[in-house]
Amino acid sequence: MLQTHVIKKILLVDDNVLFLKMLSRAFEKAGFACTTCESAAAAIDYLRKETTDAILSDYQMPEMDGLEFRRYVLSQPALQNIPFIFLTNFSDQDVMTKGLDLQAVDYVLKDTPVNVIVSKLNNLIETFSKQRELSELEIKKAVSALNIKSVPQSAPQIKGYEINFWHQSFQDIPGGDFIDFITVTDRFSFIVLGDVMGKKWMAWFLSFSFLSYVRAAVRFGVLSEEYSPASILQKVNQIICYDEALKDILSSLSLLMIDHEANKVVYAGAGDLPVVHYNAKAKTVSTLNSSGLLLGLFPTATYDEIEVELEDGDQLFIFTDGMIDYSAGEETKTDYKKFVDRLQHIATPENSFIKLKDYILSQQAAAQVDDCSIIHLYKAPEKL
Amino acid sequence: MIELIKQEPGYLLADLQIDEANLAVADQFKTELIGLLDNYQRKIVLSLHQVNYIDSSFLGALVAGLKHAIAQKHDIILVGLKKDIRDLLTLIRLDKVFKIYDNYTEATSAL
Repeated sequence: MLQTHVIKKILLVDDNVLFLKMLSRAFEKAGFACTTCESAAAAIDYLRKETTDAILSDYQMPEMDGLEFRRYVLSQPALQNIPFIFLTNFSDQDVMTKGLDLQAVDYVLKDTPVNVIVSKLNNLIETFSKQRELSELEIKKAVSALNIKSVPQSAPQIKGYEINFWHQSFQDIPGGDFIDFITVTDRFSFIVLGDVMGKKWMAWFLSFSFLSYVRAAVRFGVLSEEYSPASILQKVNQIICYDEALKDILSSLSLLMIDHEANKVVYAGAGDLPVVHYNAKAKTVSTLNSSGLLLGLFPTATYDEIEVELEDGDQLFIFTDGMIDYSAGEETKTDYKKFVDRLQHIATPENSFIKLKDYILSQQAAAQVDDCSIIHLYKAPEKL
Repeated sequence: MIELIKQEPGYLLADLQIDEANLAVADQFKTELIGLLDNYQRKIVLSLHQVNYIDSSFLGALVAGLKHAIAQKHDIILVGLKKDIRDLLTLIRLDKVFKIYDNYTEATSAL
């Protein structure tokens, strides 16, 4: 994972405007981005819309005091793990004891020199992120020992095609994207790309359930000589909708069946991004738009399929939504069209995967906001 | 996170007060949305006009809310979507799942 320097955001809450100004100046000088709120209510309003790396709050404030504010923060799952520091006076000793029950991580006396407050907060944020990293490392070690993967190590060799893929998990923690290549007979191969909605470990864990159902449906299909991707998706969707353990869990899926004998690729999609088709002869890209809904949405959903005959040099790009998300300054944006335009520039009648990979890597430094996966299928010209 | 704008006998008008609708706020959003459906037992017209970005975790929460509403024979109607977000919903076919209108007036006159 490429590391980027991120400015730490802190929220300062105090009804004393002068003290707020002094503190925020010192923090900004130390490289923090500061937001100041003159009441707990204003801070709560801010936290409804924005995130912060740490909160520094006064205890004694009119209306909602610091302890009540802390209770609110603890009651919100999205906020409860943010490092929280109380600003207190000597006379607030009793309060400090009460605050201990509220998991306040630290206290700072208001007459502490400002530079000490700054370095205390800095240390606290560092310790928090190190602790988080350590616990993630423990899970990573356990996962690696189990040797289970939702993305294969390498792409398979399939006659007449070159397959490549690129996958990067969000913040280096496995997420909801899953990839598989299944060669069922000499004639048929399947390409699977899915994205369980959600991020990190929970989505990663659930991706195995989806992947297992897809693998099973493909294999059962083979037993009854049923190779239609749309029919496979329909079955997988029904099973998922009736599986109580997957209640409210949704996943997109792109399923492609390569028929080597008939020289065609059949694609069916479930709430996935349209697959991009590069036509080598015309040197243009077009999209394959499926009408299928996300897996797990409605048991009665139906799926359609699109047949494509690939000529030499033609290519298909199959990708998840992480590929079209990017950060622009402080904002996150989604732009499918921009990514397709990029593919139009990158694709050439020769295998363009290396160019594609170079482009992706050049975009990665500050841009990644989710799991990213892309599969590239290239119809190789027959060698003479 | 979800502000109630108006209560009518047949529906609620609500406003999602979030700039980036992502994993960090998805669970809380789902709890609030389901709470509104359970407490008021009526359709919700939800404005996303403040939302600039929406990720798949949040979309998952939104769809979970819709499924809850449908099970109660109610609905969640979306209004005020920015272009990027509307385009994304169309790309992944969620425009077939949610009723989408430009604003509250359009949505309520279609109810």
